Amino acid sequence: MNNSFKIFLRYNSWILVSLLSGISFIITAIEQNDVPSKVAVAGYDLRGYVAEKIQGFGYVLHLKKENDRLLAQNSRLLTKLLVAETALQRQNALLNIHAATPPAMQGFKTARVIDRTFSERENMLLVDKGRNEGIRKDMTVLTPDGLVGRVVSVSAHYASIMPLIHSDFKVSVVSAGTRTTGLVSWDGGRADMANVEHIPISSTLATGEELLTTDFSTFAIAGLPVGRVTSVMPGRLFSMVKMKPAVDFSRLDYVLLAPLNNEPEKLRMLSTPGPGKREPLTQQ
Amino acid sequence: MARNVFVLLLVLLIVCIMQVLGFSRLTLFHTAPDALAVFLGFSAVTLGRNAGTGFGFLGGMLCGILTGDIGLHMLAGTTGGFIAGSFHIPRDSHATPSQKMRRIYGATASAAFVSHTVLAIGLNPLGLSPVYRIVVLGLLATLFTLMLAFVSNLLILKNTISD
Repeated sequence: MNNSFKIFLRYNSWILVSLLSGISFIITAIEQNDVPSKVAVAGYDLRGYVAEKIQGFGYVLHLKKENDRLLAQNSRLLTKLLVAETALQRQNALLNIHAATPPAMQGFKTARVIDRTFSERENMLLVDKGRNEGIRKDMTVLTPDGLVGRVVSVSAHYASIMPLIHSDFKVSVVSAGTRTTGLVSWDGGRADMANVEHIPISSTLATGEELLTTDFSTFAIAGLPVGRVTSVMPGRLFSMVKMKPAVDFSRLDYVLLAPLNNEPEKLRMLSTPGPGKREPLTQQ
Repeated sequence: MARNVFVLLLVLLIVCIMQVLGFSRLTLFHTAPDALAVFLGFSAVTLGRNAGTGFGFLGGMLCGILTGDIGLHMLAGTTGGFIAGSFHIPRDSHATPSQKMRRIYGATASAAFVSHTVLAIGLNPLGLSPVYRIVVLGLLATLFTLMLAFVSNLLILKNTISD
């Protein structure tokens, strides 16, 4: 140990110069290997990595805000889409009803059913056309399939319709085959079934016969399909006839409104009570 | 002692800056005087070989940082300081100032030549012959450095050594 220390003390200068020269050689070697450049490049990479992470962190911080913005934008776009789709559907429905409308009905007003009330006995429809569009009370409401009902009240922009499936609604009909006349009414319950009253038991009305509106009606234009006879059961004086309405009331979208078909003189004559006069069918 | 070391380190820093920014521009035949060698000669003679070696290492590192070739300048300074340490005069010596000055000149010349040789081996930007660079230019650089040492002796070192 002492010898080692003595050797160290004796040759300390050589040891020191060797050590420092070694360090110098190492640094020279490092320089020749372009290590500083590599370190610098690594530093750039590290700096870029850290900057990227910081940016990523900032991105995460702003993610909620961005998400909210996207949600709001999504909501706006969804609303626009719904509006556009609805408009397209309405346009298609309108085109369909016009395409299916017979030429004789081309001058009719078209209205969209915007509301309807359902109940056991009283169903009402509301359409988006009113007095300003030329809609009047007692106008006939129909579709290309057949009779829907009649206009019972009118406002400036809307009209209320009493459909066939209303307990107060009545319309005179005539069968297409046997020309049997009767009165269609609805007593509540199923919307796809109505009654045909005043059919004498002597009538030859048969199941499957089509029922049309008559000239007797004070509001409906003649010849409109009303329904089809589904059953005929003989009673004491009159047969109990059931019919299926021509119109599917569950799928009403657009309707046509026919011009008024009432003649004032005819109405006046019908409303004047006389001796032995019965209540006319068309008044109902 | 610590104060002396601090002062010497400060002087070393100034010398290195002056060498890189000033003396290295005074080129003649692709050579320039070496102020660091003068400093190493003085410090090695007065403080010993280890001090010369250490100051050479640090001075070389400073010059290397300022010029770009750190390792090579460190090696040149270290070897120069080590060689200059051979001219060390012990503190209890009875050498006269002129003897001391001669030793310093010898140490400076040795340090300058060795440092220049190391740098000439490691660096050859002009593509000159190694022998020409080491021998001719080395001797020229040593001569310029001795001139610088002479001037320094006249201006600064004379008073220090006489103390």
